[in-house]
Amino acid sequence: MIRVLSVLWLFFWRDLAIARTYRTAFLMEAIEALFGSAMFYYVSRFVDSPQLQHALPEGKTYFAFSLVGFVFLDYLNVAIDTFDRSLEEARDSGTLEHLLITQTSLPAFLVGSAIYPFLRTALRIAIYVGWGAAFFGFPLKGANWPSVLVVLLVTLLAFSGLGILSSSYVLLLKRGNPGKWLLLGISSVVSGMLFPVSILPHWLQVVARLNPITYALDAMRAALLNGSNLVELWRPLVVLLVFAVVLLPASSATFAWALRRTKATGTLMHR
Amino acid sequence: MTQPAIRVDVLEKSFPPARSGWRALLQPFEKPTSIALAGISFEVREGEALGLLGANGAGKSTLLRILATLLLPTRGHAYVSGHETVHDSREVRRRLGYHAGSDHGFYARLTGRENLLFFGRLNQLSFTAANQRIAELGERFHLSNALDRQVRTLSSGTVQRLSLARALLHRPRVLLLDEPTRSLDAIAAAEFRRFLKSEILQRGETTLLFASHTLPELELLATRIAIIDAGRLLACDTPPSLKQRTRCSTLEDVFLRLTGHDPETSLQELDQ
Repeated sequence: MIRVLSVLWLFFWRDLAIARTYRTAFLMEAIEALFGSAMFYYVSRFVDSPQLQHALPEGKTYFAFSLVGFVFLDYLNVAIDTFDRSLEEARDSGTLEHLLITQTSLPAFLVGSAIYPFLRTALRIAIYVGWGAAFFGFPLKGANWPSVLVVLLVTLLAFSGLGILSSSYVLLLKRGNPGKWLLLGISSVVSGMLFPVSILPHWLQVVARLNPITYALDAMRAALLNGSNLVELWRPLVVLLVFAVVLLPASSATFAWALRRTKATGTLMHR
Repeated sequence: MTQPAIRVDVLEKSFPPARSGWRALLQPFEKPTSIALAGISFEVREGEALGLLGANGAGKSTLLRILATLLLPTRGHAYVSGHETVHDSREVRRRLGYHAGSDHGFYARLTGRENLLFFGRLNQLSFTAANQRIAELGERFHLSNALDRQVRTLSSGTVQRLSLARALLHRPRVLLLDEPTRSLDAIAAAEFRRFLKSEILQRGETTLLFASHTLPELELLATRIAIIDAGRLLACDTPPSLKQRTRCSTLEDVFLRLTGHDPETSLQELDQ
């Protein structure tokens, strides 16, 4: 266990050390978050309508609703995107082969490489919400922080399986990320990211209920805006956990098979 | 009898045909038809240096990559210190250092020391042991000034030495080098060869298997030379024995004669 944690720490240290060399990047992101937050505030002032107010959870503004949707989808994007991006970067920089001939397994490399992007995105979410609370009245007082953390963690587990499946695809076919394209593309409409699912036609609401992102967003909004505890969040959390239990072993097996296949076909380093 | 450091046993490797366009989607699932290795067998003793000589596409890199566990053989087996490369790959990697001449594979924005520390720790060296080893190799490889600079600012020759240092960090018993001087200028290549000879081979602790197109390099470093052509092992012997057998005065003539590129004498005539 200590060995595993030490390897994971090592990858985090590597990414932090690389990020440290881009000194102004984080500052730029923080400033960008301020403008992003402001954009949602002013859009919400423009689009707040009686119909929308009716569809929103009681007492919640469209600004709070859409900001959570936007930043949380960013987090999901990292969960789906980070594994294959790490793999592509390692392959393009030539470090992949050298990682593979160490005594560390490729799955450990993938998980280790995901830690820094996840923590950085979590921090970015905090900055967005922080700007929103400081300048635009985002309601932070009622948030249930332990629930927020659990939702982030369970979401990470649930969607990492898709990310690992995507990296299997990249291993085999070199480019593209169908998981991201399919899930995030569809989810921009049918997950409740920028508007409540209840305003969609009935058949799209059914599709939204089959989409795990809808449950993740519901749980995050409930924890952050309504202060829901874990008992109140059991339904979306169970859905996400089922998703994780099915997808993580399946994606790990697929990844192991894809790695064997690329070692057999000699295409490991092909771009 | 001691176990050979490397054993290659009727090793075969074929690749699926290269495809473009939409057919490329099917390439990972196609049958391997392009032969890279056609049943190669040989052994390398502990502490020995075996050079691989062959034309481009002869199968040298494929062989090294199978031994490095980066490729799976189609048939046959390869062993490093008695461990099979497919089913016991972790034990193989524990005993192996690998350095490819054209592929630096470093994090450009990390310093040499940070890179070595990262790879050393992935090879299960403790933080203290890794730092000690980095200091030791830094001195031996004349890297002391380079260790605290970002890799992107280092010259090719320095990065090559850094790459060799990385391959040796965990004291591997077997070192695989794929054209180690390919991207070096003449001076840096000569320095690198001298360095390999004095700092690695003369100590006798490490078995070396390396591929090279540079004939003086092979003669300087290799105790035996394996000549490979179209995936087949044509000969494997010491340079004097190869010359004697083929009645040639230079290694270049040996290579041309064995691979059938010598207009005067064919291999069949020699066998008679």
